Amino acid sequence: MAGWSEKVLDIDLNTQTYKTYPLDMEMARLFIGGRGIGARLLWDLVGPDVDPLSPENVLIFANGPLTATGYQTSNRFSVTTKSPLTGTVLDANSGGFWGMQFKKAGYDVMIVRGKSPHPVWIEIRNGEILFQDASELWGLRVYALTEKLGQNNHKRNVLCVGPAGENLSRIASIMNDRERALARGGPGAVMGSKNLKAIVVEGQYRPAIADPDRFKFLLYETRKLLAASPLTSQALPEFGTVVLMNIMNNIGALATRNHQQTQFEGAEAISGEELTEKYLVKNASCWACPIGCTRVSKTDRVEGEGPEFETTWAFGAQCGVDDLAAIIEVNSLCNDLGLDTISAGSTIACAMELSEKGYLDSDLRFGRADLLARCVEEMAYRRDLGADLTEGSLRLATKYGRPELSMSAKGLEFPAYDPRGMQGQGLLYATSNRGGCHMRGNMVGLEVLGLPKLIDRFQVQGKSSYVILHQNASAAIDSLVVCKFVNMGVADEYFARVLSAVTGIQYATGDMIRVGERVYNLERLYNNREGFTTKDDTLPPRLLTEAPLDGPSQGWVSNLAPMLREYYRTRGWDENGVPTKRKLADLGLTDLV
Amino acid sequence: MPVVKLYANLRKLAGTKELSIMGATVGMVVNELVRQSPPLGAVVIENGELRRHIIVTLNGRNITDLETPVTEQDIVAIFPPIAGG
Repeated sequence: MAGWSEKVLDIDLNTQTYKTYPLDMEMARLFIGGRGIGARLLWDLVGPDVDPLSPENVLIFANGPLTATGYQTSNRFSVTTKSPLTGTVLDANSGGFWGMQFKKAGYDVMIVRGKSPHPVWIEIRNGEILFQDASELWGLRVYALTEKLGQNNHKRNVLCVGPAGENLSRIASIMNDRERALARGGPGAVMGSKNLKAIVVEGQYRPAIADPDRFKFLLYETRKLLAASPLTSQALPEFGTVVLMNIMNNIGALATRNHQQTQFEGAEAISGEELTEKYLVKNASCWACPIGCTRVSKTDRVEGEGPEFETTWAFGAQCGVDDLAAIIEVNSLCNDLGLDTISAGSTIACAMELSEKGYLDSDLRFGRADLLARCVEEMAYRRDLGADLTEGSLRLATKYGRPELSMSAKGLEFPAYDPRGMQGQGLLYATSNRGGCHMRGNMVGLEVLGLPKLIDRFQVQGKSSYVILHQNASAAIDSLVVCKFVNMGVADEYFARVLSAVTGIQYATGDMIRVGERVYNLERLYNNREGFTTKDDTLPPRLLTEAPLDGPSQGWVSNLAPMLREYYRTRGWDENGVPTKRKLADLGLTDLV
Repeated sequence: MPVVKLYANLRKLAGTKELSIMGATVGMVVNELVRQSPPLGAVVIENGELRRHIIVTLNGRNITDLETPVTEQDIVAIFPPIAGG
């Protein structure tokens, strides 16, 4: 069938052997690819008795039917695993070039099981799967390793872990194409636990397309739509994602100093405008992307991609730091060491508050830009305080007796948006299947930017429907797999037309959202099976009880409880947050329970 | 006078980040701003209304009604279409 390669590569690192077999096409029809197929496979492969850092956990790399077709942003792929940070289902996805290359190697899915007895890297080339000794590569940082293994954006692509993954940091990322990250939830630690240093891919196939003429027209139409949107043709290319810094600060929803405030007096100094004026070298793009939101920035010490908004916030406002050069440099360091920048920055912020309040004996203080790089180095190598920091903010704060000072949901550190100024965002964080995250739906469009329309950000009643729609749409887009920024110029329903042209299966309007709903419910079932309950659908006490003392969100806390009740009802879940039999039957998931 | 703060490419068009503008309502402030900085006109206003995706806040609260009154101490912020995450 066109679109999918219909082939799974299943690798056992215990024995350094592999097998291939056909992809279950009924599963593909229902879950599409990427995050959806990853969740479905994880359900079967990794049960509640499995420690995330044991050989029994798996890494599931998956692309989608659109990947490598040339459709706009069809470069992305995902990894699914059980998170060593949260214990939940985890998928992380990334752009760049590796996902395209993996699809061209002829596979939809790669499952990696077991643990190699010694460091190993995998080379996929000319239809062969080669297990290469990585003993001499172990310890190398990401940039040096990527170069050594022959990264070539259009021919040979490197995915790897840095020292953080090797040292089982629970906030370690998997890096691809040098500076792209499967960042959140610690997938790098899972890869490191398997003694797997890198996966290098060279592909040679072109994915088949069922209706090339139709697809060609949709490519043309999408190009026009993206060019006509001021968001994808001007806003993202001109200022990148960091342009959000000033508006989030303006409305009083920019989490500051570990969420002790909602406005940062140094926001302008770390804004997208400042980055563009003083540090921008040029824009860059992932494969087949006409948007080009990536910043290439330069300081006296480093030059490279980024930083993105969330990174700039995490090491900036959240740490009380207004030194943009230091943030650019610590972003580069995180990429080289293989660390998730959001969790790294927010965990340092948590340590700063613990230290300032006397719960932790360290020199960390808000505003100490000079200590960021040291902290990150210590995290990657588990040295000194880094051994605690690298466990993430919840374990850190719990160890020092103040778990409530971890700004996280289900143990995953929040991004920049403070839920006290965006009620829907709080509900979204609390119900996100991988923990506090803005990529499982994001209410900033509706509650702040007016995309596609503006709704009252302090409104509580009726918010759940918007949150659910965004969560389902995100799950669908992550299953195709394309970039969420395309969705700013192209409606959700449009993707059904593209998918139909590529695969030959007729997906109707509404089918994509239904796929997303199916994926979201399956992930919820997985977390329920792991023991997560409604008590885990919550936020830190600070966000529920401590209102900002000034600014546009003054007096507001997250009014989570009524939103959560409404959310469960609207989702078709019972009062304990468990999908009902009727809902599961409706989504074709009955056979799982 | 109310203070108007500009962001992203609006700064380049106006040649400044911030200025004081007379006006009793948000709409009057925006119209006076455009009169003083004509390059902003084509970006901010269309047929007398805010262009789609233009964001205006008054003291940090999103404004959709241009008749909203402003006072001497107020801050009006104007953002062009922006996105990210």
